[in-house]
Amino acid sequence: MTEEMFQLIKGATEAFGPSGSEEPIREFIEARVKDYVDEVRTDALGNLICIKRGPADGKKVLLDAHMDEIGLIVTHIDDKGFLRFSNIGGVNPYIALGERVYFANGTTGVVGIEKIDDPKEVKLEKLFIDIGAKDKAEAESRVRVGDMAAFQRHAERMGSRIVSKAMDDRIGCVVVMETLRRTKSPRHTIYAVFAVQEEVGLRGARVAAFGIEPDVGIAVDVTRTGDTPKGITMDVCLGKGAAIKVKDSSLICHPGLRKYLERLAAERNIPYQLEVLEAGGTDSGAIQMTKAGVPAAVISVPCRYIHTPSEVVDENDVEACINLLVAAVESPLDF
Amino acid sequence: MTSYNEKARCEYLVDVKAFLKKVSEAPGVSGFEYRTVAPIIQEFMAPLVDEIRTDALGNLIGFKRGEAGRRNPKVMLAGHMDEVGLIVTKIDDRGFLRFTDMGGVDPRILPGHEVVVHGKMPLRGIVGVKPPHVMTADEMSKTYKMEDLFIDVGLPAEKVRELVSVGDLVTYHRQFTELMGDLVAGKSFDDRAGVAVILVALEELRKYRYTADVYAVATTQEEAGLRGATVSSYGIFPDVAIAIDVCQGDTPGVPEWRTQSVGKGPALCVGGNIHPKVYEGLTKAAADLGISVQQEVAPGPTGTDAWAMQMAREGVATGLISIPLRYMHTSVETLSVGDIEKAGKILARFIASVDAGFVEGLTKWI
Ligand SMILES: [Zn+2]
Ligand SMILES: [Zn+2]
Repeated sequence: MTEEMFQLIKGATEAFGPSGSEEPIREFIEARVKDYVDEVRTDALGNLICIKRGPADGKKVLLDAHMDEIGLIVTHIDDKGFLRFSNIGGVNPYIALGERVYFANGTTGVVGIEKIDDPKEVKLEKLFIDIGAKDKAEAESRVRVGDMAAFQRHAERMGSRIVSKAMDDRIGCVVVMETLRRTKSPRHTIYAVFAVQEEVGLRGARVAAFGIEPDVGIAVDVTRTGDTPKGITMDVCLGKGAAIKVKDSSLICHPGLRKYLERLAAERNIPYQLEVLEAGGTDSGAIQMTKAGVPAAVISVPCRYIHTPSEVVDENDVEACINLLVAAVESPLDF
Repeated sequence: MTSYNEKARCEYLVDVKAFLKKVSEAPGVSGFEYRTVAPIIQEFMAPLVDEIRTDALGNLIGFKRGEAGRRNPKVMLAGHMDEVGLIVTKIDDRGFLRFTDMGGVDPRILPGHEVVVHGKMPLRGIVGVKPPHVMTADEMSKTYKMEDLFIDVGLPAEKVRELVSVGDLVTYHRQFTELMGDLVAGKSFDDRAGVAVILVALEELRKYRYTADVYAVATTQEEAGLRGATVSSYGIFPDVAIAIDVCQGDTPGVPEWRTQSVGKGPALCVGGNIHPKVYEGLTKAAADLGISVQQEVAPGPTGTDAWAMQMAREGVATGLISIPLRYMHTSVETLSVGDIEKAGKILARFIASVDAGFVEGLTKWI
């Protein structure tokens, strides 16, 4: 992977943007894709919709990646200046404990816990954020109730792997951004949706798809792997290529479109694997249910340790996903 | 059973038993109904409707035009054609298949089951577990979980990998059986029995003059979350939508108040999911025909396509007819053929009663 590509992933994953507070990541993406598309707009929920026009006889193809990340939201500030919080999306208290977090204005905090006698007592309501304030007034000068925080971690290379916070789903955003850049002659009009609020119920994609009414929808998101010690029963491995989803708990991918993507990958020698994800959903679940129904599929980037501050992907899988998505939008999609 | 039923059955184009046998033995797990189940239904439905089409989620939509009226009401009928099943998640080094369920399958009923793995070709397999001899006392006292189970197709790993991929589907291997009386047993009567009711209703409609345009839908992905009905009801946007599904039949060990008797007629549902005037209309249709029905009460979600159809666009008046069925989501689902025929007759008579005035009344609450 080129240094330029790594820097793009680093920038995208390190940008701030828990569900509902996606301003910084939206600006980051907008600045980097606007030269490769014909039109950029946002909608009422904050989705960033980038249109790249193709020939008039092409289809309306919605490509989706969610730009929000999991995070914390301040619910109360006590007299001593400690912040109580709730979760935005799936945050495990064991993983949040001891983490360093940051707010949109740059304020740093650490997650501490009340005195407990048993590790089983680690619950979100026992945790708090310490931003170093001496009292409530000082805390309130930097953070207010309702402000959101994200994990504070940098992207690093580990051999062919890359680790960072928010790979879910900034790596999907990078795949779609690169697809817009590398697609020279789209056969279809591409509506690239960088969606908000996926982690809180596929909300951004739902309204974006309703507004666009696409002929085909393809989401790019991360998926779990079965290749870690005593891990889950799943065939997907890091480094074995783009994962073409068969089903997850939000959708059964359109079998015709899914098989079309498999054939495309085989023809172009793009490494791929099939994915059955038992627990978890993706934006395509919402896209397929739009109005009278939309054929939808998902290209997944295999990722270890999802919803922790150290989500790990393989650079070759990322390249495979980009190659497959570019091939898809340059192909007839006549499944 | 009255002679009325006997006579009616002779003149039928639709042979309910023959249809149920053929359609229930076909594999059609949610999302993959289109391969084998939809073509069978299409073959039976085509002679009974004016047009037939499919949509983006694979719903099979038959259209039967009513006589031209002041305003032809749109009536949608929904019976789901998908079934619960399994899906391969992993092929292990020795060729055993690991799986998860599609829809609600109880892992405790699976050990010892014969299944069909739908790979490059259909492969017979069995669901195996550790024998009791090699279980620890702790394991003996626990029930099976999905991750303890595996499928053995009897082939070495390399051959399995040639024929089977992750994402391939697995269905129960089960033949349709006739029990005593008019009871039959088999897999996937939930809810291909509902589709059978629709066929009977379409057939019965020939006896009536009516203005309603009927959309007969064999829906997809009900067991995955009412997905086929959600999009097809948006597309059709009917004035009245009736789901036909199954409900819990009388079973030893289950309190009577939670069940409906198999063979004593279909159940008509009441509750928030059901428009009172649709319920009244169905009740009246049954009374006019002299068919006795049972009552089902759903205080919350009915868990059927009616729940999704009610919320289409700006709202739809919905009804629910249920066929009492024992041993739901197993491969020995048991029901009465007579209950299906009765439900079809009630449904047809109700449809014939739906006119422009009825539809106007559906939005008059004050
Ligand atoms: Zn995600
Ligand atoms: Zn059902």
